[in-house]
Amino acid sequence: MKAEPLVLERTLNAPVASVWDALTNNAKMKKWYFDIADFKAEIGFEFQFYGSKDDTRYLHLCKITELIPEKRLTYTWKYEKFPGESAVTFELFEEGVQTRLKLTHAGLESFTTDNPDFAPSSFNAGWTFIIGTSLKDFVEGKNTK
Amino acid sequence: MRNRTVTFKLVTEWFHVKQNKLRRDVFQAIADPTRREIIGLISQQSLNLNALADHFEISRPAVSKHIKILMECGLLTIRQDGRERYCEPRLQKIQEVAAWAEKYREFWSLKLDALANFLDSENQPK
Repeated sequence: MKAEPLVLERTLNAPVASVWDALTNNAKMKKWYFDIADFKAEIGFEFQFYGSKDDTRYLHLCKITELIPEKRLTYTWKYEKFPGESAVTFELFEEGVQTRLKLTHAGLESFTTDNPDFAPSSFNAGWTFIIGTSLKDFVEGKNTK
Repeated sequence: MRNRTVTFKLVTEWFHVKQNKLRRDVFQAIADPTRREIIGLISQQSLNLNALADHFEISRPAVSKHIKILMECGLLTIRQDGRERYCEPRLQKIQEVAAWAEKYREFWSLKLDALANFLDSENQPK
């Protein structure tokens, strides 16, 4: 068995420039992604955020490692006080008036630990909250086109 | 004298097993590339220990150490068949990893849905 990275692709109904802006402009990121205090699209820039306002357990620590405007953005993704480090890459491909986005999340298997607090069950509980509650509210609230 | 040695060995082994129980899990098992490769090899066919060790450049004791960790993590068992000892996979444990990756898949799917919705709302100002 190999530790394959997680890969997701999505074709978005918007030009590359708009998608890039949504990925790197903090005011826009707050609308769909996370509430990050400070974000600058620069290699080496470090930023952090909690999964959601009500879930203060997992402080995400990220550092931009790759940045090719309108093409590729990579940052490291780890958790404060927990071992392991992964990397998230967004790649954009122009497809006429649309944009294909490829997301790769590599190194998830490195989140291994002796800390019982990070056992899969307790960790999942945090994510379930984020996915099941806060994000769902946002997505469904927005879903009024 | 021999009895005392045996007792001592049993006690230390028990202690190690007890300690290891606290900190071994499937994620630790797959954190190492050699262990991932071992899992890959035995998931195709059960292999005896020598055949398995031959696949690797590293020393036999090093391979044995990884096999021991995989056993402690519950990912393989050793079956004695005559003079041969075979490694057999216990792959249901791997499901825990799949479930883990699945959480992230779900998370990113929803995030990308949110992104698509955001871009749509930008396109069509009210």
